[in-house]
Amino acid sequence: MQKPREAESEKETNKLLLVVERDVRLFFQYKFLVIMRAIWFVSQIALFGLIASRLINSAVVPDYFHYYVAGLSVMTLYSAAMFIGFDLYEEAEHGVFEYLLSLPVTRRQLVLGRSIGGGLRAFIYVGPLIAISLYVIGAVNPLNFALTLFSLFLFAFGVSGMSITIAVAIKSSDRFDILMGVLDALIVRLSTAMYPLAIVQSANPLYGGIASYNPVTFVADLFRWGTNIITLDNPLLPLLGVMIFFGTFTFIGIVIYDKRIEGGGWQ
Amino acid sequence: MAPIIQLKELTKRFGNVTAVDHFSMDIEEGEILGLLGPNGAGKTTTILMLATVIRPTEGTATVGPYDIRKNPDKVRGLLGIAFQEPKMLWVSTPWDIVNWHAKVCGLSTEERKRRVKDVLETLDMWDARRRNVHALSGGMRKRVEVAKVLIQRPKIAIVDEPTAQIDIVGKHKIWNRLLELRDEGTTLIVSTNELYEADRLSDRVGILHKGRLLVCDTPKKLKDNIPGGDIVEIQFESPPQSKIIDELRNFKEIVDIVTPEPNSLRLYLNKVEEFVPRMMNMLMKKSVPIASIRMTEPSLDDVFVHYTGLTIAEAQRGGE
Repeated sequence: MQKPREAESEKETNKLLLVVERDVRLFFQYKFLVIMRAIWFVSQIALFGLIASRLINSAVVPDYFHYYVAGLSVMTLYSAAMFIGFDLYEEAEHGVFEYLLSLPVTRRQLVLGRSIGGGLRAFIYVGPLIAISLYVIGAVNPLNFALTLFSLFLFAFGVSGMSITIAVAIKSSDRFDILMGVLDALIVRLSTAMYPLAIVQSANPLYGGIASYNPVTFVADLFRWGTNIITLDNPLLPLLGVMIFFGTFTFIGIVIYDKRIEGGGWQ
Repeated sequence: MAPIIQLKELTKRFGNVTAVDHFSMDIEEGEILGLLGPNGAGKTTTILMLATVIRPTEGTATVGPYDIRKNPDKVRGLLGIAFQEPKMLWVSTPWDIVNWHAKVCGLSTEERKRRVKDVLETLDMWDARRRNVHALSGGMRKRVEVAKVLIQRPKIAIVDEPTAQIDIVGKHKIWNRLLELRDEGTTLIVSTNELYEADRLSDRVGILHKGRLLVCDTPKKLKDNIPGGDIVEIQFESPPQSKIIDELRNFKEIVDIVTPEPNSLRLYLNKVEEFVPRMMNMLMKKSVPIASIRMTEPSLDDVFVHYTGLTIAEAQRGGE
């Protein structure tokens, strides 16, 4: 027979999973958005990737098309995981936020569940797109790619936690929308998602410095390493970077959510 | 027996506006407490504080053994809420909403399926269970909101304006279900600005106005306590002149005269059987055209008028 404490802990885990389940289900109810983003992804590969790769000197990047497809997967994962912040505003507008706060779920379960849910749904969504990328790239080192997938998982949760943190801290959907645009421009552009670090470095050493510590750089490099596009001296370093990013934003997300949300601070 | 909910000087201020002002009261286990008051009286804010969705500025409350400030998680474990405005995203379906709610409230799979079907059928929402919320009418959305609490059957249910936007048949179905819930042992707080609803459902009614609790008692006692327990409502064909109102005031039986509508007067009086013939004589002599006369028992609106000097409708309009 199950001990009462074990039963209680199982109940609490179930609640966390239910919060995760809700966010995953919800995302796929926005069918139009999901389909349009998939079309955008394929167009980026079939049009932009194919055309732009002809501009790139193969002495700089031997196969820019593959390089770009890998980066595009990471960028898509980033923007899909960011979507959870927009959900918070949508929920605030429809009063669903109040409903969630009135449920027999702790604030920590709520924020952790939402962070995981936001990341997981992004991962599920990007899964088929990554499969397309792998088909296009054509080469995978299974062991390395398993590590890459793990880092993509953590990255998605981290981005989702970051999105929740910012959404709760800002409390204005317009400002959030604008900030997301700016962040996207800065975080993605100051990374190796679209170009190698050496090129960023040569454009401006400051850019290069920032890009070296950018989580998007870490996962983009790991993705390329897992698909044999580039080699890495020590893949554990970017993995560690992703882990720190995940841990930081999950922790900050919980603290800020707890502090600002409990008792109506979100109003 | 100790009350299941105790409000202790509960106060909420939003900037300079005091939404709830030192609200204290006890709620007994197994009763239905009606919170009656116009919009802006502080009912919803009180509910949100009890549900730990917003934090009181001053004071506190205990729900069961738990303080809402110190143990919000435990408090939420005892509560179920149906909000005034249905809280749902438009891409969801009624089934998704109530099913997930039942899951998160810990119902077993079998029990959940049984209750969801039972409640959605009772509220005539079974056939619409797979439609998106945006395709539902306001009344249907409200039914889904109430369904959450009916499925959950919590120890303490808070229902904010349970039948707003719902047709009369639907209202009766919801009222019956809420009464069943009470009979099964749930304590209910029903916030409403519908007098009949408060009267029909509540074991006790608390009247709120401008964030303050004015009075709380059984509907019968509240009505019995009004001086001039008989009521005569006169509907005139045009607004009565002030000299007619003055003449009416001269009758010794009259305790108070209220003007709920421009064309009507509500008289609170004693000895209605002696008063009405004399009043009719006076009005006929003065050729005052009368559309109808009705004698009624006092309603909760009369109680509200007695304590605030305003009808609920006037208070809704922010009248002084």
